[in-house]
Amino acid sequence: MSKPEFEIVISKTGKVTVEVKGVKGPQCIEYAELIKKIVGHEEERHLTGDYYAPEGEVRIDTHTKGTTS
Amino acid sequence: MSAVIVLTPIVVSSWPVISAAVMGAVTGMGFAVQGSTLHEEKQSSREKVETEIANSEIVADSMTPTEKIVVQKAGVTIEVGQDDRGRCTVCVSGQGQSKKQLKQIGEEVSGRIIQQFAYHKLVTELKHRNYNVVDEEVLADQSVRLRVRL
Repeated sequence: MSKPEFEIVISKTGKVTVEVKGVKGPQCIEYAELIKKIVGHEEERHLTGDYYAPEGEVRIDTHTKGTTS
Repeated sequence: MSAVIVLTPIVVSSWPVISAAVMGAVTGMGFAVQGSTLHEEKQSSREKVETEIANSEIVADSMTPTEKIVVQKAGVTIEVGQDDRGRCTVCVSGQGQSKKQLKQIGEEVSGRIIQQFAYHKLVTELKHRNYNVVDEEVLADQSVRLRVRL
């Protein structure tokens, strides 16, 4: 299981923005909920591509070999 | 990155915890502490504006009703205390300043108090959960950025 990393920015107006990194899938929401529980009300939530990615290690290599005309 | 959330802090705690956030905020903004009790305003010509810190509550019995933190800078006086409902208030007064200017100062101070409160609460609670703050910096816009790992 991946270890989470949080990047937290606390603005000078007190607003707290949290990015959960290093965790894929719905588990990242659990980590986000942890910070929410400590801080307060949620105003916005954005899910990025990694959220929808499978939790296992999947590697896709793509190669391009020259061009054909 | 897999999820981003934006949160508004709830500032509910005892007066010692909230006053520590107040002191961190106001001294960081260059204000000098004048005392911790109510000072009656003698100069009636001074404009006065009171704002309330959103989502705040000082836990009952942790402070006396007249207890306040009073700070001053360049003719502007700020008193931080609580209202009848236990909410944290920021009262700004000054001579030669418009109400709009005083309100702006009050909102800036309120924001910085919330920032200090959120910072200390996050760092304390995350340490209790065995997270480590691996990097910390104050950005050009006075935001505080933390990187935290398990």
